[in-house]
Amino acid sequence: MKEITNKIQAIAARLFDEGKIDVFLAWEKGELDFQTKAYAAWNKDDVQNIIFNEYTIYNTANTLLKFRDTHERIGIAVKGCDSRGVVRLLEDLQIKRDRLYIVGIPCPGLKDPLAAARNYGGFNQVKEEEGLAKKCLECIQPNPVIYDELVGPEQVPRQPLGERFAKVKELEQMSADERYDFWEKTLSTCIRCYACRQVCVACDCRTCIFDEMKPQWVGREISTTDNMMYHLVKHAHMAGRCIECGECERVCPVNIPLMLLNQKLIKDVGKLYDGPEAGMQYVEGNKPPLSVYRADDPDSFL
Amino acid sequence: MSVQDNKGVIIEQPLVPTIVETIDIIDRTPDVKSFLVRNTDGSGVPFQVAPGQCAMISLPVGEAMISCTWQEEQEYLEFAIKRVGLLTDELHQIEVGQKIGVRGPYGNGFPVEACKGKDMVFIAGGIGLAPLRSFIKYCFKNRADYGKITILYGSRSQADLCFKEELFDLWPKEPNTEVFVTIDNAEPDWNGHVGFVPAYLEELNPSSAGAIAVVCGPPIMIKFVLQSLEKMGYSDDQVITTLEMRMKCGIGKCGRCNIGSEFICLDGPVYYLRQLRDLPPEW
Amino acid sequence: MKVLSKSKLSAALDNLSQQNEVFVPMQKGTQSGYFTWKSFAEGQDELRLEALNVYQSPKGVVLPQTEKMYGIQSQGVEINIDKTYEDDHPTIIFGARACDVKGILAMDEVFLTRGYEDSFYKARRSANTIIANACYAPGPNCFCNAMDVNSVDPAGADVILRDIGDSFIWEVKTPKGDAATALISGLLEEKDAKAPTPQPFQRQVEYEGVAEKLKGMFEHPIWDKLSQPCINCGMCTYVCPSCYCFDIQVKMWGDHGYRFRTWDSCMFEEYTREAGGGNPRGASKERFRQRFLHKLEFFTERYGTPLCTGCGRCMIVCPTDVNIVRIIDAVKEAD
Repeated sequence: MKEITNKIQAIAARLFDEGKIDVFLAWEKGELDFQTKAYAAWNKDDVQNIIFNEYTIYNTANTLLKFRDTHERIGIAVKGCDSRGVVRLLEDLQIKRDRLYIVGIPCPGLKDPLAAARNYGGFNQVKEEEGLAKKCLECIQPNPVIYDELVGPEQVPRQPLGERFAKVKELEQMSADERYDFWEKTLSTCIRCYACRQVCVACDCRTCIFDEMKPQWVGREISTTDNMMYHLVKHAHMAGRCIECGECERVCPVNIPLMLLNQKLIKDVGKLYDGPEAGMQYVEGNKPPLSVYRADDPDSFL
Repeated sequence: MSVQDNKGVIIEQPLVPTIVETIDIIDRTPDVKSFLVRNTDGSGVPFQVAPGQCAMISLPVGEAMISCTWQEEQEYLEFAIKRVGLLTDELHQIEVGQKIGVRGPYGNGFPVEACKGKDMVFIAGGIGLAPLRSFIKYCFKNRADYGKITILYGSRSQADLCFKEELFDLWPKEPNTEVFVTIDNAEPDWNGHVGFVPAYLEELNPSSAGAIAVVCGPPIMIKFVLQSLEKMGYSDDQVITTLEMRMKCGIGKCGRCNIGSEFICLDGPVYYLRQLRDLPPEW
Repeated sequence: MKVLSKSKLSAALDNLSQQNEVFVPMQKGTQSGYFTWKSFAEGQDELRLEALNVYQSPKGVVLPQTEKMYGIQSQGVEINIDKTYEDDHPTIIFGARACDVKGILAMDEVFLTRGYEDSFYKARRSANTIIANACYAPGPNCFCNAMDVNSVDPAGADVILRDIGDSFIWEVKTPKGDAATALISGLLEEKDAKAPTPQPFQRQVEYEGVAEKLKGMFEHPIWDKLSQPCINCGMCTYVCPSCYCFDIQVKMWGDHGYRFRTWDSCMFEEYTREAGGGNPRGASKERFRQRFLHKLEFFTERYGTPLCTGCGRCMIVCPTDVNIVRIIDAVKEAD
């Protein structure tokens, strides 16, 4: 990891030297070893603060979203999942490809700094596992799908594709009532902090439907109705767009298994549209299946 | 800054509105209407409102903080409301007789006592005349207490001028009073002044000696008028303006209308410029 | 002194629950917070009185995340307010740490002083008793001592519990505490006991002078850098024991419904967005700055005490490692 850090720093420094970028997006170290945060290096001096370590899990594509209205030329370090986020932003015309210099990092799988923070914080009675983060255990794309330069050797996906939707299939086996009960119970704990939305790179709407007040589409009560409405609408919007970075589930302060909803949609969209998954490759002009209309779109569910 | 108390009036349930009846609705401009309300049993007004104070107006769909443009004795409260949002859209569709919710009065109001004996210069833009009107009418009602009154009002177009009858007929007839009206762009049937308020103000140049300027309007107008007043020799103690922030509770609890440690709904909305200089530049 | 043996804790909570809704720190499934003793499921839920704290603070007992205010009937031109929902059923917060008690005291200032008393808050708070759990072993993120909180003698507690291993010293502080004590008098023993020795705080935070210094730092470039990682979710505000901002909204089904209030967050863009579309805090940085200035400067200016109680929760949950202690440090170090 230190080696990768050195390489990223060197590339960033070179890009600043060559005058090719105005800012480089990556991660920096926090106060403690497990703490990391999104970082924007604005000059060659800042470059030394850039790190890549076992906790640099935050999706840098989400940092990129903060730059959609500016004009800087941006260098950006991406892991596999981050790179899929970048593709999503390119597809959604949130940022132009020629503004970016993408440094790809084949990702060995990382740990969750939030789990470490919780263990450290002293509120947990039982220590949480601090191995690879759940999202990394389930990762299907550790290697960047788009880059200008690659750092380090390619990695192999960690989970055989066959078992990928095991949990989803379990839920599908439930009766409709059982499934409703499951989700009602699960979503009733939501505190509506919107962290799952804020951390989501696929959530790139300028005004989110949940912030619309005129009309107000979704109520803000903490009730089963409004909570379900929030999650179902949010996740339905993710259909064909979720890049499976798992950040929503990772950051949820009440541990809602949000990726279950996303995976169900990934599975269904895959089946219905028979297409590649969200953000797996960048083809200019390409749109996810639910962003375009085709006369032969599947409609058996109507 | 001192905390503005609720004038000693105890309100048991400050967040629960009183239901009143709309007794008249007057079109002021294409998107501004005046709503006159009083108690449903016809017994007067739900509460006493001082010039510059506000009230929270509600229909089932929502609530909004609106400045009270006039309290006519115990007859009615008048709110001049521009159609801009969810509630105001809905309000513009009601008819006379409709019940609406009001709670208040909120805010500190204009320092009518401290201004006694001064020449008053009122400067307003657009719907900003609504709050000032309560002070202007108060001055006329207590005419002897105030010196010369100068009113400068501007809006985008003729059609957007609020309170035309008062502007053109009633107020100019008051003793020792001058009314100036301007619109942003020339129009074929307009013989009056054309141009923005700050420039017109500097042209008129009302003396700052013994005067108080009261300013209300869109933020951009306020910004430039304050600069003009400074140029014209008005000190920070001679300039009063009102601030606007989004409000929900009206009683300094819900958090959103703060500028620094001030809650505009409770401690404002009326401030001397000197007070504003102490606040973070978020206004 | 009075002592409650831990073997009698369940019985005590049962007794208290006869006349009160008693909220106790618990791990309930994936949730960690204050839940009613009546909802406690033996074998599934875990009492967390011995833990440092739980993730959700007890502020919801007096300021529920969603709270009905009044019912509305609307037909034709008629509108009626058919019912108000001031809720004054007796509640007890059992086992709150000093930082969380301070959060409620801060809310008391907001809701019960400065001209208006909020009748909904007042109803709940008047009927609320706080049985605090003195804190002798601060955690790695704790800094309440720097924020005007006494961790072993929390102001505002009606009873203070002191954990001495197999039992709690039961120290009554107020008449409300007496009333709660009367409900379990048969379970308390009278004996000598020595309170534990407080361990030192692991974090050294110096808040002195920060509010004053911040007054001149509204436009300081520090906010650009500090706010850069923040994604403006509301997590920090919702786990915070003292963040109290709320929204007022309505739910109507045709001609009837109710207005309610619900926690809101200064982190949300919609929070200060005006009807006309303008927004004085439209940018991420502006909202970030507002939150920390409110915590560390504005509240102190208005109420004489900071709005941060040093519980450390926001530092644990923040997905982008925003750290209020580092912000205090950065402010102190800034030019």
